Amino acid sequence: MTIADKLVLQRQQHLKWRALDRLEQGLMMLCGLLCFGFSLSVMFDIVTRTIGHPWLWLQEVTSTLFIYAIFIGAAVATRRNDHLYLTALSEALHGIPRLVVEIIIRVVVLGVAFCLIWFGYVNFLRGFGSFRLPSGTPIASLYAVIPLSGVLIALFTIEQLVNGIAAGFDHPEPPDDELPIAAADSRFRTRARP
Amino acid sequence: MSAPLVLGLMSFCFLFFGYLGVPVPFSLMAGVFVGAMLTDVSLAAIVQKVFDGVDSEALLAIPFFLLVGELMSSANVVVRIANLSLSLVGHIRGGLSQVVVVFSMFFSEMSGSTTADVAVMSRALGGPMKREGYSPAFIAAIIASASTIAALVPPSITAVVYGAVGNVSIAGLFMAGVVPGFMIGFGLMIYCYFFGPSGLRKPRAPLRQVVFAAGDAALPLMIPVILLGGILTGWFTPTEAGVVAVVWIIAVVIPALNRGHLRKIPYDFCLAGLIFSLPLITIGAANAFGWMLAYLRGAIVIADWITSVAGSNPQHMMLLLVLLFTVVGDFIEPVPTIIIFMPLVNALTQAGDINGVHMGVVLIATLAFGLITPPYGLVLLMASKFVGVSFGKALRAALPIYLVFLVTICFTIYFPKVVLWLPKQMIPESVGCFKSPAGAGYICPD
Repeated sequence: MTIADKLVLQRQQHLKWRALDRLEQGLMMLCGLLCFGFSLSVMFDIVTRTIGHPWLWLQEVTSTLFIYAIFIGAAVATRRNDHLYLTALSEALHGIPRLVVEIIIRVVVLGVAFCLIWFGYVNFLRGFGSFRLPSGTPIASLYAVIPLSGVLIALFTIEQLVNGIAAGFDHPEPPDDELPIAAADSRFRTRARP
Repeated sequence: MSAPLVLGLMSFCFLFFGYLGVPVPFSLMAGVFVGAMLTDVSLAAIVQKVFDGVDSEALLAIPFFLLVGELMSSANVVVRIANLSLSLVGHIRGGLSQVVVVFSMFFSEMSGSTTADVAVMSRALGGPMKREGYSPAFIAAIIASASTIAALVPPSITAVVYGAVGNVSIAGLFMAGVVPGFMIGFGLMIYCYFFGPSGLRKPRAPLRQVVFAAGDAALPLMIPVILLGGILTGWFTPTEAGVVAVVWIIAVVIPALNRGHLRKIPYDFCLAGLIFSLPLITIGAANAFGWMLAYLRGAIVIADWITSVAGSNPQHMMLLLVLLFTVVGDFIEPVPTIIIFMPLVNALTQAGDINGVHMGVVLIATLAFGLITPPYGLVLLMASKFVGVSFGKALRAALPIYLVFLVTICFTIYFPKVVLWLPKQMIPESVGCFKSPAGAGYICPD
């Protein structure tokens, strides 16, 4: 399996359309690029400031990439069910109660996604009246990611809702992939090996 | 509808949806949207507040600290730190449980994330502990308790959030967290020595062995030096220190210790790009919730109640706030708790004339404790899942350890001079000191 393939989560395949796997993969790559991008821009910010020729626009680039990464990451996390949860009550249920709870969960998320799309779009339009310094770019360029994120969240939620109602939400899952951390050797060694 | 009713409905929606299984950021937003629809606040303003919550320079430090933890874990260099911890304390009664605590004290100073800490420790040390006969419940309890140190010592992500939202010096919080962080660490070591399983007796590592282990772990151990050194000397902000630490790992640590991992770095970036968005979108949603709480004067009502009970005694105020945060922290994660209740915390900090850094470190210690208390002790839940034991059994094993946390929290409340000594020495401005007009030295508030 290539690194790119590993970016698509294999859990809960019964709730997914394979056609959207490419989108998940692309969004994960975008998250990585955005993360790499703002790491690089902060690095350049330090370097240019240290040599006495700061590039002020770098801070604008950093904040743009940072905000986009947050909202895109939040959207893709919806498909992967990676968000923070208070509890997984629904996973303890089976049959009709499980179906009802899972549908309510998705309806609530859809409602929030709709608010992000509609009112995010309202803010986006208003954002053409304010400008970022020093570039003078309309702040709408930042606000654009909110409705975009809302659309993606809605799309992934509808995907889960349709597949869940059709095939059921309750499917056994394989154990999570573990990080390849070597267990510490509880005996003494002279040199650690790479 | 009256403000208290709207507040009650918002909180009910958030908790009901949250405990039903709606992701935390969406349940927070759903609660705020419902509340806003019952008031004259526009929903566009709420969406704006979500955005404002994450549009902060200081929060930019979070992805870098998480990236440091992610790179260290996936590049498999943490085993060297485990071996160093083993050579230092493996011979003491308690054996590997002592190693867990010391390992956490090292690793916490690199990642700043309790969840990263618990994942790494469970996987690196859980297996060897089981093989040496420790009960899975005790393993989960000690790993979870030790990982809370990451919430206190630099570069604590909780401290970054508190500082960014509460307009308190992040560097000051980092320094002030050292005393309670190490108190928890040493408290756990004492507990393991006297009350924990004795473990397999190992010979004391010869000095040569310790030196070898330290040499092996030297490159990763430079990370806390870079982070703290950069911040304390004023060379870097916490955000910049984070990115320099990332560069150090990619340019030096991984090529030197695990060259084969270099081609997997793009994957680490993709994963980090996703992982950091999870707490941050929650911060955005919690910011909108906290703003509504303040708008509906909820913070003032609770602050008035606390001051009416505690009077102007700052310690009593902090004790009541600790009580509130302990209860709230049992149900909600630290990051949204901090942001939702920040208007209340600010009101009480002013009313009691309490140092902002002192208040911050007391509340962060309380929220760290909430990570191992029921019903929603996140890191204890994670540790029990990784170790493969029921939450109830892990909880029973953790109960006696609560004493370490309660003593630490009380100490932090009643001995502010000890807690603030380090920030006062290293970064006097962070705790309200200012340069003496007479020349050398600083003038500090009592």
